[in-house]
Amino acid sequence: MSIKLRDLIRSVRSCKTASEERSVISRESAMIRTAIREENDQFRHRNVAKLLFMHMLGYPTHFGQLECLKLIASPHFPEKRIGYLGLMLLLSEEADVLMLATNSLKNDLGHSNQYIVGLALCTIGNLSTPDMSRDLCTSVDKHLRSGSPYIRKKAALAMCRCLEKCPDMIEDFTERIIGLVKDRTHGVLITSTQLMCKVIEIDPQAGRAAFTRLVPSLVRLLRNLLSMGYSPEHDVSGISDPFLQVSLLRLLRLLGKGNEEASEGMNDILAQVATNTETAKNAGNAILYECVNTIMEVESEDGLRVLAINILGRFLLNRDNNIRYVALNTLGKVVLQDSAAVQRHRATIVDCLKDPDISIRTRALDLIFKLVNSSNVEALTAELLNYLVVAQGENKADICTKTLKVVENFSPNDRWRVDTLITLLTISGKDCKDSVLAASIVYISSSSDDLKAYATHKLAKAMRDDDGTQEGLLIVAVWCIGEFGEMLLQPYAHESVSFQPLDAMSIVDSLVVVTKMVRCTQAVKRRALTTFAKLTQRLGHTGDAVITKLKMLVKKHSTSMDLELQVRACEFSNLIEGKAGQGALARMPVVDPKLRQRKNLTRKDSLDIEGIARASTPQQGGGVGGEIDNGGGGGGGGGGDLLDLDDIFGGGGTVSGGGYQVQQQQATVVQQTQGGGQEQKKNEDIDLLSDIFAAPPAPAGTNNGQTNVLDMFGGSGGAVQPPVVPTTQGGNIVDMFAPQPTQGALNTGVVSDLIGGQNGVGESGKDVITAYSKDALTISFECRKMPGKGEAEVTAVFRNGGGNDMTGLNFQVAVPKYIQMEMLPPSSTTVKTGGGGKEVTQKIKVRNGMVGQKKIMMKLKIGYVVGGKRIEDMATANNFPQGY
Amino acid sequence: MIQFILMVNKQGQTRLSSYYSWLSMSERVALESEIIRKCLSRSELQCSFLEFRGYRITYRRYASLFFIVGTDGEEENELGMLEFIHTLVETLDKYFESVCELDIMFNLEKAHFILDEMVMNGMIVETNKGNILRPMALLARESGKDESIFK
Repeated sequence: MSIKLRDLIRSVRSCKTASEERSVISRESAMIRTAIREENDQFRHRNVAKLLFMHMLGYPTHFGQLECLKLIASPHFPEKRIGYLGLMLLLSEEADVLMLATNSLKNDLGHSNQYIVGLALCTIGNLSTPDMSRDLCTSVDKHLRSGSPYIRKKAALAMCRCLEKCPDMIEDFTERIIGLVKDRTHGVLITSTQLMCKVIEIDPQAGRAAFTRLVPSLVRLLRNLLSMGYSPEHDVSGISDPFLQVSLLRLLRLLGKGNEEASEGMNDILAQVATNTETAKNAGNAILYECVNTIMEVESEDGLRVLAINILGRFLLNRDNNIRYVALNTLGKVVLQDSAAVQRHRATIVDCLKDPDISIRTRALDLIFKLVNSSNVEALTAELLNYLVVAQGENKADICTKTLKVVENFSPNDRWRVDTLITLLTISGKDCKDSVLAASIVYISSSSDDLKAYATHKLAKAMRDDDGTQEGLLIVAVWCIGEFGEMLLQPYAHESVSFQPLDAMSIVDSLVVVTKMVRCTQAVKRRALTTFAKLTQRLGHTGDAVITKLKMLVKKHSTSMDLELQVRACEFSNLIEGKAGQGALARMPVVDPKLRQRKNLTRKDSLDIEGIARASTPQQGGGVGGEIDNGGGGGGGGGGDLLDLDDIFGGGGTVSGGGYQVQQQQATVVQQTQGGGQEQKKNEDIDLLSDIFAAPPAPAGTNNGQTNVLDMFGGSGGAVQPPVVPTTQGGNIVDMFAPQPTQGALNTGVVSDLIGGQNGVGESGKDVITAYSKDALTISFECRKMPGKGEAEVTAVFRNGGGNDMTGLNFQVAVPKYIQMEMLPPSSTTVKTGGGGKEVTQKIKVRNGMVGQKKIMMKLKIGYVVGGKRIEDMATANNFPQGY
Repeated sequence: MIQFILMVNKQGQTRLSSYYSWLSMSERVALESEIIRKCLSRSELQCSFLEFRGYRITYRRYASLFFIVGTDGEEENELGMLEFIHTLVETLDKYFESVCELDIMFNLEKAHFILDEMVMNGMIVETNKGNILRPMALLARESGKDESIFK
């Protein structure tokens, strides 16, 4: 047996923690589910009521949906009531269960008890789907003519839902809806006016066409309400049914919008409402507010509009914040229509900026920005700046940006504009966005010399007066001093304003003071550094002392902790000393904001193109790689040429560890020569790495890439020639893992041929010795030092100079104790006859523990079969070069 | 149109919620907690209107309970909504005889019944207290017949 609803609520209330609450609810949910399964009729409505409670708390209740259906089919009113409530709260209109309810709804619509009919109508009004609406609209329509106002009002809103879901039915019901206006019950009137508003909203044309002729009756209704005097039934603080009045006014608004004739018909009543409504209470103000909205939206007389705006002006003086809020909101809406009338209340609106309520202040601010025009810009900007001083943590940046826009659009003269910008920066330099700073700088630099001098003097003064917090101001000031510093040396006077000339030293000193302030940010310091550099040009003629000081100041930063400062300081030091400085530090050309904007746009475009190119190239490389059955990202470095080479070679080359280093060098070369697409190169490197460590048959493209690169640099083969070794080594690795000796060998041959066959030519870090040469077999050692101490990599290259292939090659090496050695398998056990590309290689990794004292020494044991004869031989290789 | 009506106490616990357009459960829970946080952060001096996630919220505080109405669009009359909240409270007060948070909590379904008589699909049906409470009387009569359904 489950507990009572009250007990559930009580136990939930007594829960201390959320998890406790969850456990209570889940226990109860389980109980309810059990009860549902057991078809427990007796407690069904109680369980649904509990589900409502759980639903409100945010727990899942979907399992109770069918129970609601069972309840609405119950003959008992309370059960039905709960069932319908559950239906309305627990279900969404998407739930399929709703279709099952249609039948019950139909039954209940035909019930003799008006409350049960009302319940069904209410449910239709809240939940009806398009299908249900079609099914049930005839019954709903029938109830619109019902004798009971209780049913009529509910039917009106149920109809509203039906028409909302099936707008095509509107036509069929407009006449019926019009009939509702004759009703005498307020409930029916308020619902039917809302219904009409909805119809107009859904289908403005049809709605207006149908209902416009109702204007006189609506006006009469409103007049009756006004003149009715006290009616206890619908009285709200002395006003008869404000809700109905508001609703009627709204309908009139929708009907009168853009309709001269209809608007004409409502002029009188609107004036009457506007003048006669009692404003002591909120209800009256609500009506007035609606009335003002209506007056402003319909085609009303000018006098009426002024009256409406005056009402709003009166609202602004009201002590109730809510009323001031709606007034500001509405003024914001109507300001574009009737600016002059709103302007009259400017002072009141500005006063709202001092309101303690931030909502009011924000609205007032929005409104003021809309009110600004060229005639009041000075007064209003002053107010805005005043507000900026007191505004706390509100969107100051936003206000700055908006003020900037105001200044840009309506500035009466240049001087005022400079003044305002500087004041703006002085007040909230630390909050405004960079765009404000940029705009100020651009404006000052594009103004006349006279104005520049004025602005620079003013900024210099503001900077000296500032306590180091207004970052934006400091940046602009520092920049301007750097740019127009020499102007400070002259006195400046204009009308009542005059500035004393400054001497060069004091200009520099004041800058130093700024940078030394505790709160001085890096951004300011960076600008100051640039300014010091620039001032060496601007103030150069004033004497060496200043120059020396400036140089010292720049130099000082070359040991700065800030990398940017340090770099710039070094650069500037050089610039100042060198001749290039004169040009580089000369005055900046005037920035044309429009041009800049355009440039930004084109830059974006070209970036896009680059991006695409960047994206496509690697794909290309990858594609080719796949073709050659390497799967890896082939070398994209060489572009088209490279791809051709790939085809020629047919793949098969590898990259060894040693090769990688070379490869990297190559990549760098390519990077330098090719400029862009560096990122891509990096990726390539990574690809290479992964190839080296993952798939043994590494991309042919990489190897070929090397040759290609070499080719590209024409004839550098002899000098650099890294590709040879990697490829030979490469062949080795291929053999280790894959049976491709021929191909590998061939590959090497071709490659070396391509670059001019410089096999055996010593390369930096690589020494070649001949370790063994007897009969047809020559073994040469290519030695390369490895990073570790005493470590070396020796590649034994077997060449068959005879006429017969050597098979069954067996090569063994013995070393003294101080040497550690590891031999990798040979690339093949068959040494084919002939030179280039047919050698067999075998890699030996050696670590000489006594490097520097003793050289590497090796005893070699060679065995092979040639011409069916087994040959065994021993030899000593002690001719390793110095340092191994 | 009214999108939702909430009654939330000072601790942020929802005591009644009624939505007139579909929102998923998680959205509802999030919405309710955010709105009440916003309402609580406002002082008595501030106006009763908020704009939040495209809703225009009108709220009013009665003792420890916030009555919150969320509407959509520009058309809604905020002052009218405030008046409506007051009518709702007066109606509840008349029914429960000086209503308090616990009345609504323990008689959740009755509060909903009353609300259903006043608002339907986000529109005002009736504002006359007598008319609103008449069906409640019937319910009481019917409930009286077979005792202790909700108790």
